[in-house]
Amino acid sequence: MLADYFDGSMNPRLREELDSHIAMCEPCMNFARTYRTTCDKTRELRADIEYQIPADVRSRLENFVLSAALKYPEMVREYRAQAERERVEKVAGLIRAAIAGKLSSITALLVESHCAICPECKGYFDGILGAGTAVPAVPPTVIHSHVTRLMESLPPGEEFFLA
Amino acid sequence: MSAERWKDDEVLLDRLRKGSPDAVNELLRLFQGKIFNLAMSILKNESDAEEATQDVFMTVVRKADTFKGNSALYSWMYRICVNTCLMRLRGKRRNETVSIEEFMPVFTEEGMHASPMDDWSKEVERKALNEELGQMIRKYTDQLSEKYKVVFVLSDVEGLSNEETAQILGLTVPAVKSRLHRARLYLREQLSRYLLEGKAG
Repeated sequence: MLADYFDGSMNPRLREELDSHIAMCEPCMNFARTYRTTCDKTRELRADIEYQIPADVRSRLENFVLSAALKYPEMVREYRAQAERERVEKVAGLIRAAIAGKLSSITALLVESHCAICPECKGYFDGILGAGTAVPAVPPTVIHSHVTRLMESLPPGEEFFLA
Repeated sequence: MSAERWKDDEVLLDRLRKGSPDAVNELLRLFQGKIFNLAMSILKNESDAEEATQDVFMTVVRKADTFKGNSALYSWMYRICVNTCLMRLRGKRRNETVSIEEFMPVFTEEGMHASPMDDWSKEVERKALNEELGQMIRKYTDQLSEKYKVVFVLSDVEGLSNEETAQILGLTVPAVKSRLHRARLYLREQLSRYLLEGKAG
């Protein structure tokens, strides 16, 4: 309640009553004054109260953060590129396995049911099977993204080809 | 706070996301003092505070792209700092802090202040006392448990609003108000003792 009084959010009628009590009561008046002074002084002396960052800490911090921060985006780019290369490799592998009939039964089922509703993928697989050509290393973008999604829907750790 | 400030935050963050060294420098310039101070006031140990500050900046640089602009950048950074520091404190031996109850005002049955209540507010007007007083406030603040101290540092020292402090600490506004009030009562009482009794001693 006193907190409300001091930060001005107390209801005005109550506040008035308290004001008139404080005006007549010396201990309360002293309390209110010293409470306010405590708050005011804290603000005023902020610079003395705050811990100043020592110069050596400051320079170590700057060196560390700057060098680490600059390396970070580089690391992220490298990681993403690596992940992308692995994904392309996996997609090609899955397509090869599909053509060769070496998919695990669960993956084969997924590919089959996907091809039943996706003319693009069905056309792609039928095309390769019909022509009997080698599987291109990089399939068209749309096929790549569909196959990627298929792989992602496999439970973690599930291999897509027959052992 | 102002729309301008939010825009500045956004610009700085955008440059951070692109990995601009200038942006990292700017971030350090703006916040390293504040973050170090907050870390110091929670951890009370320079080398811990240094490591925590380092962690905070690394987190901010790494997570710049996940920052949602629904709070100011400084309040996001304070939040990261508080979390980092509290995590460090956990598991460590708890710092010795005083019981705050002892410093709450006590009233007699007639509703009078039980202890003598002197007015020292004029006393501290003397400028010569300021440096000493600042040190005393810091010392007494350090004695508070984290629960009260973090609220006190954010609200009264750093000057954030109760709403901002509540958001940073994940507390309700009434909880912030009540902790802040208790911290102030404690400080007021300690300053009273220091100014009135300490004189003689």
